[in-house]
Amino acid sequence: MLDQPEQEEEPSMEISRIRALRGPNLWSRHTAIEAIVSCPESERSIASLPGFEGRLRARFPEIEFLQPADEAHPISLAHVLESAALGLQAQAGCKVSFSRTVSTVETGIYQVVVEYTEEAVGRLAFELAEQLCQSALEDTSFDLAAALVRLRELDEDIRLGPSTGSIVEAALKRGIPYRRLTEGSMVQFGWGSRQRRIQAAETDSTSAISESIAQDKELTKALLDAAGVPVPKGRVVSSAEEAWTVASELGGRVVVKPRDGNQGKGVAVNISTREEVLAAYAAASQISDEVIVERYLPGHDFRLLVVGNKLIAAARRAPPQVIGDGKHTVRELVEQVNRDPMRGDGHATSLTKIRLDAIALATLDRQGYTADSVPAKGVHVILRNNANLSTGGTATDVTDDVHPEVAARAVEAAQMVGLDICGVDVVCESVLQPLEEQGGGIVEVNAAPGLRMHLQPSYGKGRAVGDAIISNMYADNDDGRIPVVAVSGTNGKTTTTRLIAHILSKNGLRIGMTGTDGVYIQNRRIDTGDCSGPRSARNVLLHPDVDAAVFETARGGVLREGLGFDRCDVAVVTNIGVGDHLGLNFISTVEDLAVVKRVIVQNVAPTGTAVLNAADPMVAKMAKSCPGSVTYFAVDRHHPVMATHRAKGRRVVYRDGNDVVASEGRFQCRIPLAEIPLTHGGVIGFQVENIMAAIGAAWALEIDWNTIRASLNTFISDAKSAPGRFNLFSYRGATLIADYGHNPDAIQALVNAVNTMSAKRRSVVISGAGDRRDEDLRQQTEILGDAFDQVILYEDACQRGRADGEVVALLREGLAKARRTNDIREIRGEFIAIDTALADLKEGDLCLILVDQVEKALAYIEKRIAEVG
Amino acid sequence: MNKKYIDIINVISLRGPNIWTYRPVLEAWLDIGDLEDFPSHTIPGFYERLTAVLPGLIEHHCGVGERGGFLQRLREGTWAGHVLEHVMIELQNLAGMQSGFGQTRSTSTRGVYKMAVRARHEEVSKAALYAARDLVMSAIEDKPFDVAAIVKKLRDMVDSLCLGPSTACIVDAATDRRIPSIRLNEGNLVQLGYGVNQRRIWTAETDRTPAIAESISSDKDLTKSLLASCGVPVPEGCMVENAEAAWEAAEDIGLPVVVKPSDGNHGRGVSTNLTTREDIEAAFKLAAEEGSEVLVERFIPGDEHRLLVVGGRLVAAAKGEAAWVTGDGTSTVEQLIDSQINTDPRRGTTEDFPLNLVLIDEDPAVRLELSRQGYEPGSVPEKGKQVLVQRNGNVAFDVTDKVHPEVAAMVSLAARVVGLDIAGVDLVAEDISRPLEEQGGAIVEVNAGPGLLMHLKPASGEPRPVGRAIVNHLFAENESGRIPIVGIAGSHGKTMLARLVARLMHLHGWYVGVACSDGLYFNERLIDKSDCANWKSGHRVLLNRAVEAGVFEHDARSMLTEGLAYDRCKVGVVTNINPSELVPDFHIDDVEKLIKVIRTQVDVVLPDGVAVLNAADPRVVELAPLCDGEVMYFGLTPDLPALTAQRAANARAVFIRDGQIMLAVGEDESALCPLSEIPLAASSVWPDRLENILGAVAAAWAAGLPADLIRTGLETFDEELAPAADAPAR
Repeated sequence: MLDQPEQEEEPSMEISRIRALRGPNLWSRHTAIEAIVSCPESERSIASLPGFEGRLRARFPEIEFLQPADEAHPISLAHVLESAALGLQAQAGCKVSFSRTVSTVETGIYQVVVEYTEEAVGRLAFELAEQLCQSALEDTSFDLAAALVRLRELDEDIRLGPSTGSIVEAALKRGIPYRRLTEGSMVQFGWGSRQRRIQAAETDSTSAISESIAQDKELTKALLDAAGVPVPKGRVVSSAEEAWTVASELGGRVVVKPRDGNQGKGVAVNISTREEVLAAYAAASQISDEVIVERYLPGHDFRLLVVGNKLIAAARRAPPQVIGDGKHTVRELVEQVNRDPMRGDGHATSLTKIRLDAIALATLDRQGYTADSVPAKGVHVILRNNANLSTGGTATDVTDDVHPEVAARAVEAAQMVGLDICGVDVVCESVLQPLEEQGGGIVEVNAAPGLRMHLQPSYGKGRAVGDAIISNMYADNDDGRIPVVAVSGTNGKTTTTRLIAHILSKNGLRIGMTGTDGVYIQNRRIDTGDCSGPRSARNVLLHPDVDAAVFETARGGVLREGLGFDRCDVAVVTNIGVGDHLGLNFISTVEDLAVVKRVIVQNVAPTGTAVLNAADPMVAKMAKSCPGSVTYFAVDRHHPVMATHRAKGRRVVYRDGNDVVASEGRFQCRIPLAEIPLTHGGVIGFQVENIMAAIGAAWALEIDWNTIRASLNTFISDAKSAPGRFNLFSYRGATLIADYGHNPDAIQALVNAVNTMSAKRRSVVISGAGDRRDEDLRQQTEILGDAFDQVILYEDACQRGRADGEVVALLREGLAKARRTNDIREIRGEFIAIDTALADLKEGDLCLILVDQVEKALAYIEKRIAEVG
Repeated sequence: MNKKYIDIINVISLRGPNIWTYRPVLEAWLDIGDLEDFPSHTIPGFYERLTAVLPGLIEHHCGVGERGGFLQRLREGTWAGHVLEHVMIELQNLAGMQSGFGQTRSTSTRGVYKMAVRARHEEVSKAALYAARDLVMSAIEDKPFDVAAIVKKLRDMVDSLCLGPSTACIVDAATDRRIPSIRLNEGNLVQLGYGVNQRRIWTAETDRTPAIAESISSDKDLTKSLLASCGVPVPEGCMVENAEAAWEAAEDIGLPVVVKPSDGNHGRGVSTNLTTREDIEAAFKLAAEEGSEVLVERFIPGDEHRLLVVGGRLVAAAKGEAAWVTGDGTSTVEQLIDSQINTDPRRGTTEDFPLNLVLIDEDPAVRLELSRQGYEPGSVPEKGKQVLVQRNGNVAFDVTDKVHPEVAAMVSLAARVVGLDIAGVDLVAEDISRPLEEQGGAIVEVNAGPGLLMHLKPASGEPRPVGRAIVNHLFAENESGRIPIVGIAGSHGKTMLARLVARLMHLHGWYVGVACSDGLYFNERLIDKSDCANWKSGHRVLLNRAVEAGVFEHDARSMLTEGLAYDRCKVGVVTNINPSELVPDFHIDDVEKLIKVIRTQVDVVLPDGVAVLNAADPRVVELAPLCDGEVMYFGLTPDLPALTAQRAANARAVFIRDGQIMLAVGEDESALCPLSEIPLAASSVWPDRLENILGAVAAAWAAGLPADLIRTGLETFDEELAPAADAPAR
């Protein structure tokens, strides 16, 4: 026995934050749990914990983790947590394989990422993994078996059932995206206007009326009979004599049963004499006023699955039964059968245990047995009247045996009732012969049939019914997707997003667009606020009126939850520059930021395109991560990246004099900048870049050049259509520019643009956001100080964690070396700052207002302009 | 013998076009015995007694053609059978089953009449028939008769047996567009159109209403979340665990709020328009007492509205209004409701009334509303005090024309998001003529299979043609729901002709249903070997969703006993009319009467259809003027008079010239193929068989089949179709 480890005074491993990454993310394409884990010094290398690994392996022998790569990167407790969380899920039967642990810039703090297939299971696995680590540390007990049972049960409880699961799997094989709409079995396939829905084996083409018809057996029989499908003829009778009359008309053997019965109560089958029929009527009429007399169909129960106009699978079904041996009781016989390892308790195995419950006892009773009767040798004793797998019945695949005429009748039955997916119940001796030849018939049709008996029959071959259902919903080359464009970058994303949406809408598509100021469906804003995350993207893809989507994809959402889509057709990265929001969420360097922005590029479809800024080295490098093709854009076509790409005959977009040029091999398309008002004839440099990016995206979607040209010509960026994006106003003969620029790159781009505009005196109104790094705030005013005569600093409405006056002080520091600024003012409140700037304006002056509360500020500016007329 | 009594000796239900009319009728054979000697004006007091119990008879125009026409006949003297016909019609009308058509004819037997009256429902009409007989007899015999009681009984039958008003309005709209309908069950399941072109409705559900969409609409939370994702305003809300959480939620959502049990009904435990923390916490306790989870939701000010969306378009909108009473200082609330609300003539208990009666005993919501204001049903409010009885009464005030286009677009989107082709969208807003966002309005529920009554019979405003909207949604403007139907009547040759036409259509690629005396065939598969030239088999063909074309054989007997299975046909063929087909037991005892039976086949030809007639039979030729559509003749020789006249009028004809089958349009003729190339003709010595072949060619041509295909078909026919065809007298 090992010695007890010394008690550590130091606090143990702590999980400070857990996130579910529900889409492609920084780490992988898999859904994953991401946790921030801090380990005290002692736990940063398990090698330093005496006996730990042994205790761990004793508790969870299947755990796997890598050997340390080198001395500098020992295996920490966080790594153990990772391996345990993954291993526990894998042992519970979840198909997971990806996990990773990385150290952050802060010592002892790790990011642990573990794939999941079901979020709740992933979270529970983390919890259990932590308990496991703890128990191994403290040498307390850990009940592995119980943990795995919990995980397995939770997984079985929440994951898609076998029927729905088989359809979803088939969709995934075809590249059709899916999304669960409920915790149950309702699933959306495809996106936007091309979406379809299923609920288990029911689709959105399954008519409610057809389902109602299928539930009315008599109506179903009447309709099938009209269509020439053999059914057990018969009708409803209201007296014993009438029952006998009908039985005589039908001739031969009949069934007498109550119209609304269940569990086979009051049902008499295979009877023929007058005495039998009269007695059966008496019994049936006890259950229901209406009694049905119909022809008895001899033979076995078969279930034929029809999808569309095809027979897809067929199974012979048998109710749970035991065969007497003249020695054992029914109870003992059932126990024997249940000992078969193929019989399980749930859906996981192809056979389920036979239950000897009240229904079974009642069924036995009708056959004259109790659980303790000893049936004679060779006697079949039925334990339930239905053949469902879930209650112990068996299903034997007979798909290949079905005679074409039998299949034809089943298809006719489904089509007559109007079901696109239909379980047809047939009673006959054998499906090898036409029903008509053997007196067989169709007794029932079922909407939303169970698929398990075909997927995993008790005996015989499983059938690809999910594939058949998907093929019936989607044409061969259809994957249910709509074009999706994702736009990322530090600056210009919003304008680029709007430009692309504008071009696509001019192409006749109904556009869904997300961005930092809301969600737009065909220009109607349906949500406000920052909507650049995955939730808004998912909403757009759910919307029935969307033919194409353009998503401004900000880093926040990518970090928090991953992407809202599995892949995109076009990924545009405008630039990274010197970055923005650095220092948040362990994104401390421009390189880190690029990794986040790169996620959309990594998830371009193989047939898709990444549109990348060749002039930004961080962006240009992303080309390596793109599974599809790459289009580069840059003002300078001689930029080495551009030149190389062009030389290979690939797509590039650049500026040539007063034109924007798209070129691929020998193909070239020129669009004069004079035709693109957004660029003010090419004067506003950053807008030219946005235009090039948008052209690249539209080109990737094969939009016709005339449409691209015409739509660039009609794109207006004013305070209404693009609030806060270089909105130009005129105030008492002075030029006013309102913009939401709020990082050094954006401000540099604005200054470049403003410098090309002539003006007497130049003023600027600016605040800074508190969550930016000190040097970024300083840098903003450093740039402005060289370009403006007057700078009006004001306090932002939202200080984002900074003390009062702190931001303004930093901004002022930036102006210390200003070469042009000679007038600096500090104001409290955005509106007062605007008023101050306006008050000093004279004809021919220029004023740049860096708005913060965009809509309110723009409304205020418009109001002030209206006042002067 | 002295029998002054009307005996009903036979009742026949003619379920389709028949000797009397296009529509289903109930035919009764009446033996009026010695009443034959007592026409109406000879029975003292009969006129007065009858008009006293049935004043509505004044509306019956009868043969006279104007209001009071029937009464004039009654005064001048008419016979008991005719009187019975009008009384039956009147009783049916009083029961709410409109029936315009009636006719009575004498037979060759003295005192025996055949009477036919439009029958929208067989069972009700039968009851009306016997009631009418009893009523007429009581008027003749001057005995009392309780008209009100019998009308009530018939009305109850109509209510329970006939289509409900919503379904009926859709079926009527289909009829207006000449789309045929077939009721499929005892409920409201109706097939519109025939065969492959049929659509189905079940009240306001169609065969395009997905079951999944219905599941979604019945899950309020799921509906709300889907709508919210797509930008449709809904009452945002969340479940809360305790009173404090309720207040936090209210602050998040924004005041005022509603606090209610998540699965409550009748407004029990619901508190609305709450603005203060105290109220909200108190409301939580109230809701929690109902034993379910508690929901805090944004309060949506305004009235309830129901907007009906059909096929993506808003077609009707109705508004609910609050009901108030004003105290008089002496009456109880219950009395005030009776005197101030329930006296409204628009209020009643049946579907005929746009508004329901307010019944405190049956409506817990009313009781709850009163108790919120501190009243019991027996309280006496002071004079002038306004008491709210129903916050949202029946939603039955039409506001269709006021709906703002953005609201219409929003409800249409809501229906689309849920996936319903027909949806009743419940919406709360203060002013339906303004966009929802600017007034904080919201969509609260999306209903599948919505009731249509509020739009058909609004309490105020104009009724909306919702039935038409639904039919137009199911059938494009150029769609009739019909399939090409060829009906074949005549004394013999029908079966072979039917099988030949069917074979040609089959070769054309159609899935053909054939109901003929050889049996019932679907797509050349024999389904039933017995004689299937009857209504029931024809009905099966029309029901079959696979059938793209139908061929029906009719003999005189089935036309007399059942009527045709279809209402109109594309092609009506009459081969010949001769005495071998007389049906003496149905009083069809001479050829003139037989012609009246057979003519039905020509009567039912659609205006864009064709009657195909044998030019060699003058009795058949006589039917030509009855055809609404084109007439095409066929004959063995080109010089038959009817045929030459026909060609002179530039019409189509089929005949044999120089051993070739010719297709002619006016004077232009073209050879289809020589008889020698047709195995069926070459081996035949029967001229009848040649006529059948020509009839089949003409029918196929009339049905729009190309000549090349007809030729190929004829050349490949085998003898299998012949034997049955040669059997005499079919």
